[in-house]
Amino acid sequence: MKKKFQNSKTETVVYFICSLVGLLIVWQLAVSFTSLQKVMPSPFVVLGFIGQSLTQKIGGKILPLHILASLKRVFVGYFLACIIGIPLGILMGCSKTGKAIVKPIFELLRPIPGLAWIPLAILWFGIGETSKYFIICVSAIVSIILNAYAGASQVDQTLVGAARMLGAKPAQIFLYITLPASVPQIFAGLQVGLSSSWMAVIAAEMIRANEGAGWIITTGMESGNTVQILAGMISIGLVGLLLASLLRLIERGLCSWNIQGR
Amino acid sequence: MISCKHVSKTFENNGQKNEVLKDISLEVAENEFVVILGPGQCGKTTLVNIMAGLDHETAGSVTVNGKQVDGPAPERGVVYQKTALFPWLTVEGNVGFGPKMAGLPKKERKEKAKHYIDLVGLSGFEKSYPIKLSGGMRQRVGIARAYCNNPSVLLMDEPFGHLDAQTRYLMQEEVERIWSQDKRTVVFITNNIEEALYLADRIILLSNCPTTVRNEFKIDLPRPRDYISPEFLKLREEISKHVETTE
Repeated sequence: MKKKFQNSKTETVVYFICSLVGLLIVWQLAVSFTSLQKVMPSPFVVLGFIGQSLTQKIGGKILPLHILASLKRVFVGYFLACIIGIPLGILMGCSKTGKAIVKPIFELLRPIPGLAWIPLAILWFGIGETSKYFIICVSAIVSIILNAYAGASQVDQTLVGAARMLGAKPAQIFLYITLPASVPQIFAGLQVGLSSSWMAVIAAEMIRANEGAGWIITTGMESGNTVQILAGMISIGLVGLLLASLLRLIERGLCSWNIQGR
Repeated sequence: MISCKHVSKTFENNGQKNEVLKDISLEVAENEFVVILGPGQCGKTTLVNIMAGLDHETAGSVTVNGKQVDGPAPERGVVYQKTALFPWLTVEGNVGFGPKMAGLPKKERKEKAKHYIDLVGLSGFEKSYPIKLSGGMRQRVGIARAYCNNPSVLLMDEPFGHLDAQTRYLMQEEVERIWSQDKRTVVFITNNIEEALYLADRIILLSNCPTTVRNEFKIDLPRPRDYISPEFLKLREEISKHVETTE
């Protein structure tokens, strides 16, 4: 095949732009020529609305501040999930008995979506911020724990043996072998956890809130404002994408040893 | 100095006994390069692991420098077939790992690592991660890492088994050069007669499962040896007569 681009990075960017533009075109065509126009605004109306709400308030706040409110909730809940989940997962991975006792519990918890905790969270913590933090935290924590556990328990025993031969004591093996060896797996869990908590905050805000990206969607529904709903959804998608990319960037910095090629 | 006396090892798996090593006795003198030559997949790695202290014999005893082996110790360095480098550490980090565990200050550690990185011919690759290195270079790192911990005994478990033929010759010459410059007691495992002849002061020939000592050859050829000299080829033919084929 002929090489069309200087390097694969420009190639990725070009295709990314192509796919976005393509989506907009198909959307616009569908709205212009089919009966979809009765229920769906054109993409440019929605994008125009997003642009407008960067300066004009929706329910007392401009759009970026709504997103910031959601982000703040995510960071509190996600941060809690990380500082509890990572150590717990690693401990489970290191201790056979600990794992035998704790792991079945998490295997059972795993299929329960974070959103199923909403009713309980409201009964326990009311409808304020605490219950939102709780929902976000439980949504993220299970995959964080299970991945950290998998990372710590699958450490190559040859490497442990090699470290012992070089004089490493058990504490040093934990610090210099088990921990770094689990980092890629831990990041896989952090990645899944982050997208779960971003989903959870939207759901939590849709139940009860007076600000945030989820709130924009629900109020859009309540006032029959399709444009506002779509604008909210698009911003949620964009922010989610941004968060995931940010984490991948951090991972790339921390795990450069794990990446083949240059 | 290494001394194995009547070492046997039997693995038990679901009540089934599998005898891997049977009554192995051997001695390795100080700074002697002994190659253990054995066919097939049976027992050689287990023997190395027992000498290293990573595995335990079911009968007999192993002593190194007069002390009973009862666990891993930095006085015994291991070079692995699959290198077992720490992938998250650079070449420098891998080579300096042992001294770091021993609590050597960073500056001395770096100097020491540098010395052995130079010795194995990897100058300029200090900051590279193992994933970026070729098979032969990784094995050099493995050798430097073992050396840097200053062990009196080096155990090399088929270190070149995964290398292509060309690199393998090169690495044999390198090991010979490194060992001549910085002598240690070496036990080198291989299934390659030529490799054994090129490196060994003495070859210990093992039988197939259960593994026992079959024969011993003292190799007095001057170093570095020539793979195609008549003496080398004659010894090669003689030893190959004694090697059991696995078929």
